Amino acid sequence: MKVLFLAHTEEGGGLGKAALEALGAAKGLGFELVVGLYGAEVQAGADAIAGCGAAKFLGVAGADFATARYGSDASACEAIAKAAGADLIVMPATARASRVAAGVALRLGAAVDTRLTGLEAAEGKVVATRWFYRQRMVGRIERDARPWLVTVDSGCFEAPSDMKGAASVEMLSPAVATRTVVTGVKSPAADAQTIRPEAKMLLVAGAGWGKSQAGGMKRLDEASQLILSLIGATKCSLGSSKSLVDQSGEGGALPFLTHMHQVGQTGSTPRHQKGLATCCHGEEPHVVGWRFITERRAINLDASCGWAQGKADVLYVADAFAVVKALVELLK
Amino acid sequence: MTDHTADKLPEGALPDGVERQRMDVDIACVGFGPAMGGFLHTLSKGLVAEDGAPVAESKAMPGMPPQVICYERADDIGFGVSGVVTKGRGIRASFPDLDLMQIPLATEVRHEEVVYLLDPVGASRRPLVMRLKDRFLRATGLAKNHAYTLPYIPNFLRKEPGYLLSLGQFNQWAGGQIMGQGSAQIWPGTPVAGPLMEGRSVVGVRLQDQGVDRQGRPEAGFMPGMDIGSRLTVVADGPVGAVGRALDEKLGLPVGNHAREWAVGMKMVVDLPEGCALKEGLVLHTLGYPEPEIFGFLYVYPGNIASLGIFVPSWYDSPVRTGYRYLQHWMQHPYLWKHLQGGRMRSWGAKSLQESGRRGEPHLVGDGFARIGEGSGTTNVLTGSGFDEAWTSGVLLGVSVLELMEQDKPFTRENLEATYVRRRRESWLEREARIAEKARDGFQVGVIQGLIGMALAGLSGGKAFWPGATRKPHERIPSLEEFFRGRIPAEEIAQIRRDCTQKGLPLHGALMDRLGWPSIQYDGQLLVSHQDALLLGGKVQAPGGYRDHVTFKSTNVCKACDEKVCIEACSGQAISTNPDGGAPLFDREKCVHCGACIWNCSKPSPQGGESANVDFQAGAGGLHSAEN
Amino acid sequence: MKGLQIVVLGSIVPDPLQTLEPIVGPTGPALKNEMMLPAVLDPWAGHALYEAANLAKQVEGKVYLVALGPKAKLQQVMMNVAQKVPFEINVLDGPAGGFTDAAETAKALAGAVEKLPGLDKGKLLIFGGWQSASRGTGAVLQMVGELLGVTDQFQGVDEIKMSDDGSFTVLERIEGGSYQLSSCQGAPAVLGWATGNLPEPPNNPQVGMANMRFIMPALQKAVAAPLKGEGLRFQSVEVPSQRRETRIVKDAPVDDIARELADWIRA
Repeated sequence: MKVLFLAHTEEGGGLGKAALEALGAAKGLGFELVVGLYGAEVQAGADAIAGCGAAKFLGVAGADFATARYGSDASACEAIAKAAGADLIVMPATARASRVAAGVALRLGAAVDTRLTGLEAAEGKVVATRWFYRQRMVGRIERDARPWLVTVDSGCFEAPSDMKGAASVEMLSPAVATRTVVTGVKSPAADAQTIRPEAKMLLVAGAGWGKSQAGGMKRLDEASQLILSLIGATKCSLGSSKSLVDQSGEGGALPFLTHMHQVGQTGSTPRHQKGLATCCHGEEPHVVGWRFITERRAINLDASCGWAQGKADVLYVADAFAVVKALVELLK
Repeated sequence: MTDHTADKLPEGALPDGVERQRMDVDIACVGFGPAMGGFLHTLSKGLVAEDGAPVAESKAMPGMPPQVICYERADDIGFGVSGVVTKGRGIRASFPDLDLMQIPLATEVRHEEVVYLLDPVGASRRPLVMRLKDRFLRATGLAKNHAYTLPYIPNFLRKEPGYLLSLGQFNQWAGGQIMGQGSAQIWPGTPVAGPLMEGRSVVGVRLQDQGVDRQGRPEAGFMPGMDIGSRLTVVADGPVGAVGRALDEKLGLPVGNHAREWAVGMKMVVDLPEGCALKEGLVLHTLGYPEPEIFGFLYVYPGNIASLGIFVPSWYDSPVRTGYRYLQHWMQHPYLWKHLQGGRMRSWGAKSLQESGRRGEPHLVGDGFARIGEGSGTTNVLTGSGFDEAWTSGVLLGVSVLELMEQDKPFTRENLEATYVRRRRESWLEREARIAEKARDGFQVGVIQGLIGMALAGLSGGKAFWPGATRKPHERIPSLEEFFRGRIPAEEIAQIRRDCTQKGLPLHGALMDRLGWPSIQYDGQLLVSHQDALLLGGKVQAPGGYRDHVTFKSTNVCKACDEKVCIEACSGQAISTNPDGGAPLFDREKCVHCGACIWNCSKPSPQGGESANVDFQAGAGGLHSAEN
Repeated sequence: MKGLQIVVLGSIVPDPLQTLEPIVGPTGPALKNEMMLPAVLDPWAGHALYEAANLAKQVEGKVYLVALGPKAKLQQVMMNVAQKVPFEINVLDGPAGGFTDAAETAKALAGAVEKLPGLDKGKLLIFGGWQSASRGTGAVLQMVGELLGVTDQFQGVDEIKMSDDGSFTVLERIEGGSYQLSSCQGAPAVLGWATGNLPEPPNNPQVGMANMRFIMPALQKAVAAPLKGEGLRFQSVEVPSQRRETRIVKDAPVDDIARELADWIRA
């Protein structure tokens, strides 16, 4: 069995965290390994993992492959995969790789499964783990078809370390046919927080922030200010529930919340080490949003709240307005 | 102090540049439930000839087949609430080859029991006669597990041979059949604001405005509710439907009729614990507990699933009559709990039932409209049967409408009287409703009298009954002090009221605790908080862009109100205490549209009439559970 | 560019509020009570459909919805969706569950798109959700594109801006809350939508009536598309045990709670 680890490089030619974790997944299978890299430059990335034990390094580089674009990325991946002749192709589930992975599989006549959270080989079989129905249930799957192309989720595999060296990369030059030009990247303002994979903590702001508080009044300005201060103090990611997001946005309850923040059944399910849920209430499927948060705490007025009971490690039954205010002071 | 109601545009006025659109159809229908199912199924079958060609032409859209459109308020046609046990006479007639296997959760009635539940906790408010009876049953050893199974079920209560159905699943199935027939369209998620009237004639319906804020003021994406012009409007929006109630208000009820008796039915569908001894097809009815006025039911579906719940009637005069807490106490009665413990709630819901039956019959027809189903007084209050009666009323209208269409006659009051009303009067529906008409009058006096009255009416074919004069629902409700006299001192009630108001809590929790009702130990499966029942079981939600459908006619009246029964009885905790005093708060996202607030208000409408101070309109959203 | 043909690929999923449990069916895993569960249009496909209708209005184009799912359920869901925006539907009567194979689904859908009467690939935009609430592979659209020879593809799209000459720009979601901005010379292209920026359109009875003239015949003409389910084998599917021992801190002073949290966050 031959495994191809196939990933794009980042600006500067190196490999990102997700790619390194995917390498860990590929390497962990214990089969013959081939590395394929594509991007503006690939040598730095190859050198960074020169000692990973790969039998061969393949690369596609150049200005045509600098940006994340379907036409060029698919050609690069196709060329590398064909040259490698691997049985199993492992790619990271980054935005860039996810854009092309399934299309590449089709070109190769390969089977495809995406966003795996587990990948292991036992008794000659490769078994993959992935989630279904928006992270509501988990399945273990296998296939006889080869080649088999998979993408693996970030945060699920250990990235190998100490692999630096000098890699000899066999460069390929696939033709590119595309009518698309990537013209830029729009990043959120530095102070605006979204769900960022590198953050340590996810703050989940629930619908309670937008509801009438004791005294009958909504305290939206205060809620906004408290949430933003806590984000400022902790540099955490900000997630929110559908119901709060729906009421928010420009001119809404909490103007800085958009659908980009939504976690849960119809939003994202981010992976963070810690999660703090505030003013959230609900049960399955509402709690799907923090399924992949390792340590979970919640502040809520209701001791039997479904977000917390049996789901969080600690539930503080308290007024989140008061607790967050004091917390921000302490963290300053 | 000014008295203000929702600040909105005057009736019919629209912002500059916005026009209300209009569309004409042949038959506009409101509300999809069993009655509408019966109507549309019958009509659809008759509108198409054997060769598939339509038998009539649309008058609204010449050249097309008749345009029959049904608007349903809920987000799906399967979100109705009711566990159904029925003799199924009407259904069998409509579907002679009915295969119950096609309908999930359907089965045949196999065994029936009526059980009298004694009070195992000593907190219920039992009249002396009942206490003596309880003592007798315990002393003689007739009561087991604090319950006594009646040795015999009178014929009028029997449903065997019959069906057990989930209303939600049946509606899904029936709706699928009708849409598959292709002659009628059913549009869920479309609340109807009210009828379009010219004098006493109905000329169509107006849909609710979309793209408005909670007060009904236009926002971005404003779309005024469309006017749907129709030659015939079929009203089947149930006892709390906006169109039916508007007609009652404008036209009044026939002399001598009134729709004053209500109940809220609150229920769950439960995965019974493994190895549960309850067998598929069991129909169990209970009386006596948690309060003597509260009746219960438990039906066992295929797959070890039960549909169970209670009815809290309007003649149970407690101003703190909460369905949810009582449901939890009822489930925990030892007789039931031995079967239910370890079970898991699958779904939950609540609905208002019109319990006046034939007595609550409105004007069944008028120029341009006809009424079917529960809102037309079909429920048989003696046999406790409403589903098949509703379906049958729809069938009778369907046949009549086909007859008028074939003869190319207009849908005038006279023509509808000569066809639909005549058929209804000649049907078993009417015959049995007449027997039942006075069966429950005794409950106006007391629970014992009510039970005796039912037995008298049932056994005498309606000739005998226990008399009792009715009052408007709001007139029945005593003050807290009055209701709890002799049990909780007035000063203590005042203190509880102050504490709860300050915390924004309803009163029933504290008052029931005070009376000795044990607190509920949540097990996270079957015994869960009311909020979790909404989320886990009801899956309640509300789309944006609609106005609040529950408002208070006079906020001053609310400010002066000490009972606020609307809060206590709200099935979804959607109406809550306003810590500032004044009118209660309403949270649309929790409303299950049971309509209990309509009749759980102790203050008369400032405009007079039968109604109270709560205004309840048609709104979108609510339950998202298709099993109830 | 006038007269674009916007084909939206999308189907139904269980109403997201429902409790879902897997069971082992005769052909592999399935959802318990699948036919009883209320269904909705997949939320991401919904966004794609509303964006498609919005774009079609600007360019005098036409929207097709190609749906692979159980006919009876599709019929029911369409009674809700059809009131939202104008479209023509093409139905493949087959499974829409999460345990079907993405590639098989893609092949069935691509076949149906090819067969759309009057299809002009020079004017074709394929829309769909970049994920789904069932299988959630985010793989079907790419494969349909490849099968139809469309290699300008975008995923996680929140916005498309069309120019008069038919070229367009696209905003795609990438990591860290950022957007990648691209421009494309024109159709054909594949766009996998994230949420887009449009609110759910109101229910419009006239739109519903107009759509229904096509929906009912399309449902009657639905072609059976039984997916074989070959190749993909499930060892297990389960709802993972989520139970944690929750420590409940009640009646503690706010400052103590804040201190405990601060220590935890800093650790």
